[in-house]
Amino acid sequence: MDRILEIGGFAAGFCGRLFAQNGHEVLRVETASRPAWVSQESTDLFLHAGKQRITGVSTKLLSELAAQADIVVLEAECADEIDTYGFDSWDTPVKIAITPFGRTGPKKNWRATSNVLLAMGGYTNLMGDPGRAPLTLPGHYVEFQAGQFGYVAANACRIGGEPNVADIGMFECLMALSQFTTVQWHCSNRIRSRHGSDFWWVVPTNLFRCKDGWCYLNIVPTFWDAMTTFLDRPELVIDPRFESNDTRMDHRDELHAIIEAVLSDLSKERIRQRATESRIPLGVVQTFDEVLSDEHLAARAFWQTVQGEGDPVLSPSLAFRFDEEPRVSLALEEPQAGRVHD
Amino acid sequence: MTNRISGPLNGIRVLDLTHVWAGPLGVRILADLGAEVVKVERAIGRGPRAVAAQQIGGWIGGEPGDEPWNAHAVFVKLARNRRSVCLDLKSAEGRNVFLQLVGVTDVVIENFSARAMPAMGLDYVALKTANPNIIYVTAPGYGTYGPYCDWVAFGPSVEPMTGLTTVMGYSEDEPRSTAMALIDPIAATSAAAAVVTAVRRRREEGRGAYVEMSLHESGVSFHGPWLIEQQRGGPIKTLGNRHPQMAPHGIYRCAGDDDWIAIGCPDDATWQSLGDLIGFDPSLDLAARRLVEDDIDAGIENWTRSREKYAAAGELQDHNVPAGPVNTTPDMTDDPQTIEREFFVPYERFETPMPGNPIKMEGLSASDWTPCPSLGEHNREVLQEWLDYSDAEVDELVAAGLLADEPPA
Repeated sequence: MDRILEIGGFAAGFCGRLFAQNGHEVLRVETASRPAWVSQESTDLFLHAGKQRITGVSTKLLSELAAQADIVVLEAECADEIDTYGFDSWDTPVKIAITPFGRTGPKKNWRATSNVLLAMGGYTNLMGDPGRAPLTLPGHYVEFQAGQFGYVAANACRIGGEPNVADIGMFECLMALSQFTTVQWHCSNRIRSRHGSDFWWVVPTNLFRCKDGWCYLNIVPTFWDAMTTFLDRPELVIDPRFESNDTRMDHRDELHAIIEAVLSDLSKERIRQRATESRIPLGVVQTFDEVLSDEHLAARAFWQTVQGEGDPVLSPSLAFRFDEEPRVSLALEEPQAGRVHD
Repeated sequence: MTNRISGPLNGIRVLDLTHVWAGPLGVRILADLGAEVVKVERAIGRGPRAVAAQQIGGWIGGEPGDEPWNAHAVFVKLARNRRSVCLDLKSAEGRNVFLQLVGVTDVVIENFSARAMPAMGLDYVALKTANPNIIYVTAPGYGTYGPYCDWVAFGPSVEPMTGLTTVMGYSEDEPRSTAMALIDPIAATSAAAAVVTAVRRRREEGRGAYVEMSLHESGVSFHGPWLIEQQRGGPIKTLGNRHPQMAPHGIYRCAGDDDWIAIGCPDDATWQSLGDLIGFDPSLDLAARRLVEDDIDAGIENWTRSREKYAAAGELQDHNVPAGPVNTTPDMTDDPQTIEREFFVPYERFETPMPGNPIKMEGLSASDWTPCPSLGEHNREVLQEWLDYSDAEVDELVAAGLLADEPPA
């Protein structure tokens, strides 16, 4: 088991969460934090249950804590802020620095909120409707991905057995996780752009309104025949307008109209039943209440219980599970002033 | 020869059975960190011999070339730093060879449908029999059990099942999907996290592991704050480009054709800087700004419309205001930041720039990266190196059609 010293915002918090949930001892130093997408209490319950938390830590104490830790994860708003902590002087075996743009380069001290990083990282240009403002992505995707990279890096260093220091820029995390956007430019000279909810290159792949909500179809070519069964329109299999993905792209609007006509009278539940029977890739838009009561997640014992000041709440467990081990219940501790490891 | 890519995961062997996006991307993270990865592929796994369809990402070098199956740009992008063995897992002999490879590896990872590995006789019991300490990561769309385990799943169809679509869009009546299979990269980094966790556990506990994942749970695992807020009665709404606790926060039109800038104002100090620059009342606190957010957004856009996006971002950053242009791919590759940090790496054929490794640390360098292998390029090398096969034994497998280096005719 490692001792982790965690300092910083949502990226460091998510990284520390992964360590805490995997049995490591995490000491979180509370610092001024960017506004969360939900209340601070809900954010803390998700990120910080199972950790020790302290506030009011001096630079000297921070250095002492770093000396006791196996891994330090420090997230800062820019590169120079990393330096103010004395990070480079700490002799912790594994040190992870997470910043918006990394610790070097002409933009190392640029300020960024997640919408800025999503814009610069190429995501925003792909989201939203043509002719309207592009859309940003709500939530903490950027920071959580950076935190997950930090976790992988730190554990890799521990596996390798060598001390090391990692410099992780959130901007680069986003670009590293890009889909086909970059190669489409370099190999096809096409700049990918936004098309609403339409994936565009595979038809039909779009969001459709149904009787009581919305559903998303993702019909890659091998599922086209099954799709016609799903629609109860088997004659479409031999319709030359729709015989290949290329022709379906050419007749996108006609096909969308056919789908909309079928789905508009069907409920989400009925659509899911038909999709299951026809074996096509389709998901319905679930509210968070529906996710929380989802029968599949319940059957897989996905949720863990987190206890704060109020009633316990359900929180998503980690994305991976070992040997069907039971999910752990965790408590959120109140931050203590200047408390250190025993 | 063992590891060709230096890094802290040197000595960790991974058999990569993954396909599409999430799995290969997750394995690429491990390969970039020095894991010794062998991609075990079907002969038809990269597509047929002839050019069958337009490729979303195009072809490496712009043309399909003589071996189009080896030139799919999207595939190539994800398959660096590993070797390729093209083995028929549907034959008993092919499975036998695979299980021998399992016997000398650390990790097997796949993201087939839930039925696939058991159908091939390669479930966890079979893998564990071949190697009692194996780490087996399985990541179907909805996992291997549960009511939805047989659902057909791709990232775009799983995304709305996670709840994300209810907060994404222009308004409550105009939800939007990301249309970019956002759940895949979440599953990718989650898979990499799972593997390093499992390797460390094995060292401490002396046993392998069965690691269950799914696209679905990977996505939901990122939505914890919303899911907890929902239970605590907090309001969760679609806000377009706004933020529930920042104002202003948006995407604003700049001079130029479809050019935009993202701006966020996380605190009062930033607001004062923004106010000084654009001419707002710097004394407004968040609650006051909320009341006039439409006016603030209009004022910002009035300012940004007369500026090109890079200049506007630079000017705002000079005033410590978080701001950045809405970048296209050429914007990203031409960005002085990515150039100075050498983020895009032209190691691949035709010097095609590829996104690099966001983990920068001593001992890692793109200078030793290897391009995507051709199909079955390392059949002989891997079987001889890992299993001490003779040339004659490999030749027998080739003659029997169990090993291949091109798609079937």
